[in-house]
Order: sequence, then structure tokens, then C-alpha cells
Amino acid sequence: MVAVIKERSAPTKAEFHAAIARRSPGWYSACLRITRNEHLAEDAVQDALLNAWNKREQFQSSSSLETWIHRIAVNSALQLLRKNKPERWNELEFEVADESATPAEIHAGSELESSLANCLRRLTDVERVCFVLRHLEQWRVLEIADELNVNEGRVKQALFRAVRKLRVSMADLRSDDHE
Amino acid sequence: MNEDNDKLSAEQLQQIKDATRAAPPPHVVARWHDAIDSAAEREAIAARPKPQSFSPSSFFWGAAITAAVAFGVAIGVFIGNDKPVMTETYANVEAAPQAQPASAFSRGLQVHFQQSRQDLTRLDNTVNGERAELVMNIVQQNRLFARMAKQNDSEDLARVLRAFEPVLLRLSSEDITPEEAERLRSQLAFELDIVLTKLSQRASDRTDAIET
Repeated sequence: MVAVIKERSAPTKAEFHAAIARRSPGWYSACLRITRNEHLAEDAVQDALLNAWNKREQFQSSSSLETWIHRIAVNSALQLLRKNKPERWNELEFEVADESATPAEIHAGSELESSLANCLRRLTDVERVCFVLRHLEQWRVLEIADELNVNEGRVKQALFRAVRKLRVSMADLRSDDHE
Repeated sequence: MNEDNDKLSAEQLQQIKDATRAAPPPHVVARWHDAIDSAAEREAIAARPKPQSFSPSSFFWGAAITAAVAFGVAIGVFIGNDKPVMTETYANVEAAPQAQPASAFSRGLQVHFQQSRQDLTRLDNTVNGERAELVMNIVQQNRLFARMAKQNDSEDLARVLRAFEPVLLRLSSEDITPEEAERLRSQLAFELDIVLTKLSQRASDRTDAIET
């Protein structure tokens, strides 16, 4: 039996429109989690779509078009965030001096957040981006370190702080619910 | 330190994911669809067979005239729909506070176009990375003015500004050939000149209106 391997051609305009209709809320949400700015998130998705369109010949059929654009959108969001707040991405920011802070101190030093969505607001840009990329976008630590141009240790520290703060925030929310 | 020892549960992660899910506004989704249509259209135009008696100058003028017609229509639409600021100002004193910001906006826009025009002439002498950086700066400024135009209820002007974006982004691509880059650069410079001329005319018309 002769296996017929059909080579996939580049995605068409109709496929891009279908992808936007199906998955743009997911791309937008991912970009919004990273940038926390609606305009930047909108621009990130638009940049991603145009980049994907211009490079559609390079699209590998092993992944879906939606997933491919999602990844490009996340990269665009990171680029725009760094461009808008370059000072936040230096080494110092990765060494935020709250390593010694205990959960109780974090708790005491911050207001109770009213919703789960606001829990992410307690994180610094660096902590939030590392957390979102690692735990919500499933990037590997090494990939995050490469993208942010820091070593893996820094990323792990930021992740540790982020998760610790989120645990406190979420515990606060639960205790509020029980009261 | 191992981040795997300090994870949130899958349920907690899902809760955060759900709570931070957001739907893009419909007009933004429409803009994304438009962006793909524009990019496809430009590509189709670029892929059309060249005339047999090809000469660089005739090709340039062909592209220039096409761009001029397209932009002429777009500018005609936004100028035509634009509110006559000075007339309203004199007809109704209450409209005066709005005239100043609109005028400042036009001046800012004019400066942006002039700066962009200058930057585009510098593109020839830049390497890929610098070119991308330079073009992305123009794109960022362009987006800022498009948003301001939208806030000023000049949706048509915002659309004209956004029409520059696919071309600018294509210019910043690494895989663009020198020929295509030159063609797009010339096209953009030409289109910017047209918009600049229109803006100067509007400013001059307003000055006349003040003097009379």
C-alpha cells in the first residue's frame, strides 16, 4: 500500500478568519494577562496575526493554526510590554527585595482583593509574566529565561514569589467566602 | 529552589484562568479581520504580473497613482466627514473649548507624519534590526494617533492611520527583499506626503477662517 502524504499548503485567508472567529478571545486573554493593558493586548494580537500571515509559508501542520498564532501573540505581548516598560526588565527587578517577607507580612501589607482576577494584581510585572508563562501557558523555565534574557534561577525565584503571593490572596478570598 | 515544590493546584490554576478570561470588543475583532484582508489585498496587488514593457519609473508611477487614488478616496472620506471645527466655533461659543484640542491634535499629527517621512528616508541606510526598530516606533506612534482620532470621533481618520500599519509591519519584516522594501518605502512616503498636504491645507483654511 502506498502511503499518500498530502503536503499541507500555507493557511488561507479564510482559515485565518475562521481562527480569529474561534480563538481570538483566547489570544486576547493571554495577551491581557501578560500586559494588563487592553490596548497593548489588542495590538499584540494584531501584530501576531500580521506576522503569522506574512510567515504563513513557514507554518508547520504539526500544530494547529490557532496554537501557532497563540504562541506568536504571547511573544508579541512580551515584546510590547518590555518596550513600554523597559525599566521593569532589568536584573534589579528580578531581585525584588521581598524574599524575606513571610506570607503573614504580605497579607498584612496588602489590602484584601475583592475578586480572584485581582489576585494577579498583587504580583510585580516580572512575577506575573513568569507565572502566566509557566503555569497558564505551560512554557518551560528555560524557555522563559531565554525569552526574558535572565538565568533560570531568577525565573524560579520570581515563580516562587508569585505562587506564594497567590496562595495568600486565594486563601484570603476563601476565608472571606466562609465568613 | 524548585518551583515544582510550590505550585498551585490544577483547580486553583483553572480558577485563575477562568477569572482572567476576557472577550475582545467586537470592533477590535473586526479590526483584526480587516488587517488580514488588507494584508491579503496588498499581497495580491504585489503578485500581479508586471507589464511587459517594464521600466522602474513607470512601475513606480503606477504604484504611486494607485496609492494616491486609494488614499485620496480614504482622505476624502475622512475630510468630508470631519466636522468643520472653525465654523462650529464661530457659530456656537460653547463649541470653542473643543476647537483647541482638535487643533493641537492636528498639529501633533502633522509633526508625526513629518517625522515618519524623515524616518522613512533614513531606512535605506539601516540594517535589518535597526530598520525593524525604526518602523516599530512609527507603528507605535501611529497607533497612538489612531486611538486619539477615535476618541475625537474621527473614525475615518483612525481608519486611514490604521491603513498604514500592514505596510509598515511588512517593512519591518526580516524576509523582505530590498526591491520590495524600496517599493513600500516609496509608496508610504508618497502617501504620507498626500496626508501632510491635506493637513496643511486644512490648517491654512482655518487660518483664513480666523482672519475673515
